[in-house]
Amino acid sequence: MKPLFTILPRFAVARPVANPTFRLAQCLAQQQQVRAASILGNLSDIPAAYNKRIRRGRGPSSGKGKTSGRGHKGQKQHGKVPAGFNGGQTPDEIVKGKRGFTNKFAVEMSSLNLDTLQKWLDDGRIDPKNPITLKELLDSRAVHGIKDGVKLLGRGAESFTHPINIEVSRASASAIAAIEAAGGKVTTRYFTKDSIRRFTKPHLYADEDGVIPEFKLPDASSRWDLEYYRDPAHRGYLSDQVRKGQSPSLFFKSLKQPKVKGKAENKASMQKQKAEKAANRLF
Amino acid sequence: MATTSAAVKVIPAPEPVPQPFAIKKAPTVLLTVHSFPTMEPVRFDQVASTFLHAPLRRDILHRAVIFEGDAHRLGRAKTKYRHEVRGSTRKIRPQKGTGQARLGDKKSPMLRGGGVAHGPKPRDFSTGLQRKVYDLAWRTALSYRYRRGELVVVDGSLDLQEADPGLANTIVQRYGWGKQSGRSLFVTNEPRENLANALEELEEDARVLTKFEIDVKDMLETGRVIIEREALAWLEKEHGLGVN
Repeated sequence: MKPLFTILPRFAVARPVANPTFRLAQCLAQQQQVRAASILGNLSDIPAAYNKRIRRGRGPSSGKGKTSGRGHKGQKQHGKVPAGFNGGQTPDEIVKGKRGFTNKFAVEMSSLNLDTLQKWLDDGRIDPKNPITLKELLDSRAVHGIKDGVKLLGRGAESFTHPINIEVSRASASAIAAIEAAGGKVTTRYFTKDSIRRFTKPHLYADEDGVIPEFKLPDASSRWDLEYYRDPAHRGYLSDQVRKGQSPSLFFKSLKQPKVKGKAENKASMQKQKAEKAANRLF
Repeated sequence: MATTSAAVKVIPAPEPVPQPFAIKKAPTVLLTVHSFPTMEPVRFDQVASTFLHAPLRRDILHRAVIFEGDAHRLGRAKTKYRHEVRGSTRKIRPQKGTGQARLGDKKSPMLRGGGVAHGPKPRDFSTGLQRKVYDLAWRTALSYRYRRGELVVVDGSLDLQEADPGLANTIVQRYGWGKQSGRSLFVTNEPRENLANALEELEEDARVLTKFEIDVKDMLETGRVIIEREALAWLEKEHGLGVN
């Protein structure tokens, strides 16, 4: 009968070549009888990961002798007292009420100062030739984790020298001035939490084949955001929607520009007014 | 106002000084791929050293095994408190005048058939482990197996022609994969019914799992791990360093 498959005496297994000591150990292992013992019985975290158990009430030298760290007398020594319990009186929380609140609409901007950016550019950690976005800033660790956006701030503005093209969530007036003085360009753009994640870590959104689906950044929709990004003073990405002389505000109409009169014409009218006043003067 | 300084000098980071006595590790290691079931070596694959030649970290393995053990713990023990026990809340007997103890309803924990006062309730024992630490544990476990020659990689499918326990037994015994040498784990890329059925009666010698069913502890438990090349590549994609 023909055998079902050819049987080899030993199958080859490639092992790391550049390790002679390992080869030696392997030879020794083949000579000696080695039990197939699992490594599972021999695992342990580092010693520093474990704390010695505190033995309470075991004599004064232990530091937790006599009262075992529970003080003297009363319910706290013998059992447990409910949290917030004030000895049967009206609890503090009811007498004095709660103070403060959590503003769930607050935005937490990661600040990026110009001196940091200057240093990163000097060290070659950010390429000044390409546009600098939130992704470049996060990848180069110029900012550590972005929650609601990045705001560019003006610390070190006087010594900023790189002509860069940067896009951030917000920028201070001094930072804008410094970058433009160095020949660069600032654009502020609206980002949401989710869009920041998609933008900075696109690999997390890849499908099974590793293809990253197309993604369009969402636009500002709330009034505050629209007005911020429409404002040319903020170098907002919507500032081209605002015509010259028009206000970025969505509510207030822009004031009509006063007609600029010629210098001579102005002077004449002033004199005319003065004369009228003098004529009407009673005493 | 714009004074463009076009020639901005970018200072490159200094090159690392070569250490005279540092052990230089090759970026890749060789992996033998075998045919199944003949176990002839088919080719050598280059695999990242970070994936199959990572240093042994017993503490990381320990943390991963504990993490998995905690996650697998069911914690389903359950007893009924007095309000969960079925029955009436009617007072059993008058408060006063009987000469007996005061009693309310018959579901009191003090009474037979009543609820349990401080009995076990379903609990979640799972603990957390940082994803990067868990990935490192995977690489450490596979590297440990690889260095000891206990990672047997098979080209293509690990399946058999038919679900023949005799054939499976012959393979296991011939290559010394059985109980005497610490059992074996077969890891397949997708469910291989013939192999699983053939090894059903050889529980003491081998077990079969797909790539989705294995964890770090499985990698360390048995005498060796016999794995399909495709499944190993998937593990590298999931837990390797090149993914991020």
